[in-house]
Amino acid sequence: MSSKAPRPPEVAEFLIIGAGASGSIAAKHLSDRGFGVVCLEQGGRVDNSEFWGDKPEWELMSQKRWHPNPNVRDLEQDYPVDTSDSDVNPLMYNAVGGSTILYAAHWQRFMPSDFRVKTLDGVADDWPFTYEDLEPFYDQMDVEMGVSALNGDPAYPAGKAAPLPPLPIGKIGMKAAEGMNKLGWHWWPAPNAIPSKPYGGRNQCVRRGTCLTGCPERAKASFDHTHWPDALKNGAVLITGARVSEITVDEKGLANGARYIDRTGRERHQKAKAVIVCANGVGTPRLLLLSKSERFPNGLANSSGLVGKNLMMHPYAAVTGYFDEPLESWLGPAGQTIQSMEFYETDKSRGFVRGAKWQVMPSGGPLGMRAAYGGKPLEEAWGANLHRNTRKVFGRAFEWGIIAEDLPDETNRVVLDPNLKDSDGIPAPKIIYKNSENTKKMIDFHLERAREAMSAAGAIDISLTPLMRDCGWHLMGTCRMGNDPKRSVVDQYGRSHDVPNLYIYDGSVFVTSSGFKPTGTIAAVALRSVKHLIESKQLQEVAA
Amino acid sequence: MSRIDEKTRRLFASMADILIPHAEGMPSASEVNVHGELLDHILGLRPDLRENFMRGISAGSERDPTEALNELNRSDPAALSAIGLVASAGYYMTPEVRRLIGYPGQESRPDPDPDAVPEYVANGMLQQVIDRGPIFRPTPK
Repeated sequence: MSSKAPRPPEVAEFLIIGAGASGSIAAKHLSDRGFGVVCLEQGGRVDNSEFWGDKPEWELMSQKRWHPNPNVRDLEQDYPVDTSDSDVNPLMYNAVGGSTILYAAHWQRFMPSDFRVKTLDGVADDWPFTYEDLEPFYDQMDVEMGVSALNGDPAYPAGKAAPLPPLPIGKIGMKAAEGMNKLGWHWWPAPNAIPSKPYGGRNQCVRRGTCLTGCPERAKASFDHTHWPDALKNGAVLITGARVSEITVDEKGLANGARYIDRTGRERHQKAKAVIVCANGVGTPRLLLLSKSERFPNGLANSSGLVGKNLMMHPYAAVTGYFDEPLESWLGPAGQTIQSMEFYETDKSRGFVRGAKWQVMPSGGPLGMRAAYGGKPLEEAWGANLHRNTRKVFGRAFEWGIIAEDLPDETNRVVLDPNLKDSDGIPAPKIIYKNSENTKKMIDFHLERAREAMSAAGAIDISLTPLMRDCGWHLMGTCRMGNDPKRSVVDQYGRSHDVPNLYIYDGSVFVTSSGFKPTGTIAAVALRSVKHLIESKQLQEVAA
Repeated sequence: MSRIDEKTRRLFASMADILIPHAEGMPSASEVNVHGELLDHILGLRPDLRENFMRGISAGSERDPTEALNELNRSDPAALSAIGLVASAGYYMTPEVRRLIGYPGQESRPDPDPDAVPEYVANGMLQQVIDRGPIFRPTPK
């Protein structure tokens, strides 16, 4: 247990597992309303001064200590993930604030069609609610996070303006936008959970462009800054370094707490009246599958057999353009300056359904650009060519990143690895994940369109990256929500169909993935769920 | 951690200069002293590189550095990768090299007037997008 944490109650009213995006929202809003909250987080707290973005060593440290792949980072608080049967590596960060410590802070909404995929396109399933149902929660989260955006994007229904003006799009955004206008294609300044002005105790973004390795300016809206200060002030108890091994149940089959191992190696049990799991799309099914008992032999909340299945991770492709003019392409925001949904909606004449969202990203520093040269002949990658390549591309390139919607498929899944274990001896997850034919066709189509966009913008050279392996930022679908207990794990408010005082609020509950970074929707769905829980608290069944 | 000896530094400098030579108006790796304190600094920050780095360096002890690097590229890419990363990380961290490639580092450059009308609005670029109208499919009734 963290030495500074107040002593937790013997029985928590609500026990939250995971202090990332959804766990932070649950902790703040429950404690705002006076409920007793204990949160178990396997990672620790991160101080913004630990980040290297404002130091010359930034790129060097980005490749290890602050790498988003836990298998590369290999910290004690990370659990290993077997990816030998996966096309994509899952990415995450384990700490207070969760993966928002290292996220790009795209603050995107799903589009209306994302919630009606079955009705509109005949694939996957509809969500149990609509865009309009979720809109007020999107609006509230924009305010809680301090989103910088320009209202009026024609890719969305008209709605409320974000609280802050958009971040600068820079020379790269202007260059890309010029190309899109030549083609008559959609673009819009991108919404980001990064304050363009001081907001909520956080500083104005200084465009350092290191969002994906932590914001040294304390500007980016990570949940350790946006929600935990209020939750702690309200009396929520946050226990860091707590690796949960099992959710326990009582004789009635109700969740009554969680067993965890602290950083001294001691096993503890935190009792609770209700449990909310917020451990991400890999960690949550792992924990439920670990929580087997006589009553729940296939894992907790798994009568449907769907815990761990339907993993969606958003295959990511990119087109990089090189220009014959300086574009200052190390300046932030790092995640996106402008976006396009020109080819987002389904057009079946393309040979696939659904689509992808694009965003313009800067190319970063000179060292990161060397990553593509591994395995090439020495004289091609190094020597005088190194200087020529640096002169050609450094500061003069940007990327159209393509987030492709992958549809749910039960064969893409998280299981418990029979051999691999974390540093506490708890079985690690194994990912089994392959891209579908629909996804492959979608990526091929979008790469060609993005190449055209780069040409229209005046690129003198273009390179394509068909699929990045280290791209599994978005972990979704492994405990899907729905109205039918046979075809879903939780109801539309994240409540388990099997265990009435067990809730799941993270991206595991997603029915489909959309083509957007999901954190904004994870947050809105979690907010909707926790507000419903608060309103209906008197009707809830709890452990004794 | 054991201290890096002079022989290792010399070997690293000779290999680093093959990877990053004096050419195209740029200094070589050893000219910016990547084999000096920078080497200790980088391996101190990234101890995970040390084993592969030292193995690669030792492979170059009895042979021509170009030949040694080509052999590493064929038979021990992890070692070459470590040597290349240590050399290039140190090289691009130096103020002289940053000045020559026009890189101020990940600089602080806040927007001086976040409430100003953006250029793409003022010059009508965005209006073209707006004029094309909505591009989303509404929720079916």
